[in-house]
Amino acid sequence: MKILVCVKQVLDADGPVRIDASGKWIEEAPAARFRMNRFDEFALEEALRIREGFPGTRIDALSAGPARAAQTVRRALEMGADDGIHLFLDDERYRMPFEIASLIGAYASDRHYDLILAGVMAEDDMQGQVGPMVAEILEYPWATAVMSQKLHKTGDGPDASGTIYVERELEGGLREAFELTLPALLTIQSGINRPRYPALSHVLRARSQALITIPASRPGETDPVSFPAPRERIQSLEEPAPMKTGVILSGNPSEKAEKLRQILQERAFL
Amino acid sequence: MNNEIIVVAELSDNRILPVTYELIAFARALAAGDSAPVRMIVPGRETHAVARDLADETGLDTIALVGDPLAFYNAETWMTAMAARLAVRKPRYICIAHTSRGCDFAPGLAVRLGASCITAVEGFSRQDGAARFVRKIFNGKIKMDVTPERDTTVLTVLPGAFKVEQKSPRAHLAGSMEVLKIPDHPQKIRTLGVIPAEEQDLDLALADVIVSAGRGIGAEENLELIRRLAGLFSKSAMGCSRTVCDLGWLGYKHQIGLTGKTVAPKLYIACGISGAVQHIAGMRGSKMVVAVNKDPRAAIFQIADIGIVEDLMTFIPLVMDA
Repeated sequence: MKILVCVKQVLDADGPVRIDASGKWIEEAPAARFRMNRFDEFALEEALRIREGFPGTRIDALSAGPARAAQTVRRALEMGADDGIHLFLDDERYRMPFEIASLIGAYASDRHYDLILAGVMAEDDMQGQVGPMVAEILEYPWATAVMSQKLHKTGDGPDASGTIYVERELEGGLREAFELTLPALLTIQSGINRPRYPALSHVLRARSQALITIPASRPGETDPVSFPAPRERIQSLEEPAPMKTGVILSGNPSEKAEKLRQILQERAFL
Repeated sequence: MNNEIIVVAELSDNRILPVTYELIAFARALAAGDSAPVRMIVPGRETHAVARDLADETGLDTIALVGDPLAFYNAETWMTAMAARLAVRKPRYICIAHTSRGCDFAPGLAVRLGASCITAVEGFSRQDGAARFVRKIFNGKIKMDVTPERDTTVLTVLPGAFKVEQKSPRAHLAGSMEVLKIPDHPQKIRTLGVIPAEEQDLDLALADVIVSAGRGIGAEENLELIRRLAGLFSKSAMGCSRTVCDLGWLGYKHQIGLTGKTVAPKLYIACGISGAVQHIAGMRGSKMVVAVNKDPRAAIFQIADIGIVEDLMTFIPLVMDA
């Protein structure tokens, strides 16, 4: 069985996030830290668990991004993916979900993956679109926000068939269950598992293993993997006004604590 | 180009969910600029009566999209049923709730229709006659204005972001109601049904004060401090952001947000919570919000009444001792 896991490299938003000079995306400060999207770590972990249950399964991890995204592909190898694929973008411009989904769709179209996994969304643009878009492009059934899955596989090789039982998350703690015919795509909700730390053996292997790097071409060019025209355009980015109605308490920590207690007492909470 | 705006109603047990009225308010505001017609689509096995009521109540023309395959939600049937009808109508905008199900089928629908797709929309502005849609990125730290490039655009609208005006009076003129029957059955997805929530806890719903922990608390053992802070108040409960549940620090019954509980206590104290839109959607109704976070740019401060930029581990003990 063949599984494709889509992993995205994102800027760690725990550090400062500043708008770049163009006003259309985020500045890459020298100290900026990039890492794998956490939701994709859950997706990769889920793939690794499926492989444990179905020995012989191969896991490809794929990332579409500029040169630095190779680190995230390598991280996926360290976590245990068998092969790492880098759809190489030759600039650092932000791409809309449909552009990325089209690239991944073009890559995956003749590779017969039985299952494609991705995180429920990316932590940076928070769109949650690429997964279901890839599925629709490939005409795979899909389920998003999956909280548990169970694979039923019959046969092996190209004639293999099967289904996957999934529970996806609804509001208020409810779930709904589906059975999808393979090949299928799932986007994985956080909390489905605990992503592992890379084992030393995988880290050593990943160090020497070459990535499969595929250049992604510009719209209209006829490379195997090429971009469509964007369907949306970012007009501007802005830092929201710091506060609409509230106040930021000033003073040293003790003074702030005293003020807070006063306010809470005035409002009869204490 | 057609300037019609379609609103896809979201139902539960054949009842209209409140988020549908937010979508209607959003669509009407969007339509106002160029007096575009707004139409509703109400998908489900037998939504005739619900669609009729909606048409009477809102005055909007309504399409009941019905048939046995629509008895239960399923991305494949929802998308196939809608795409066939919408491809013919070529509306300018299709407004879908940014709920679990809305997010499940909207992006695929956009691909099927060759449409633009903008998710988690919180509002819009107009510049030179064109609508720019507002959404947030990086856990709410940055606001993004996006414009569509295609003739049709699929929008998912964040619940709670677009307030319903005063209970609008019943429409003078009822809208028309049309029934479209879906014959096609899903081929690749079989619906097995809804699974009830595992453990229910009424503490959060009943609490006057909710003290909520985010990833910013740093470590599981620091929850004890948050718990002690909650203990200062009577009728208080502990809440948390999704990440805290994912890390296994607290059970999912404590989760507040889009996919967790929606709460509206008298006082909400957010400790180390970044303020992603997913979390805000679950606590926006709180009467008073106190936010403590050491990151002065955390999005939670945008909605806080009282903001404190401090490290929790030094600040909370000071509050307890003050």
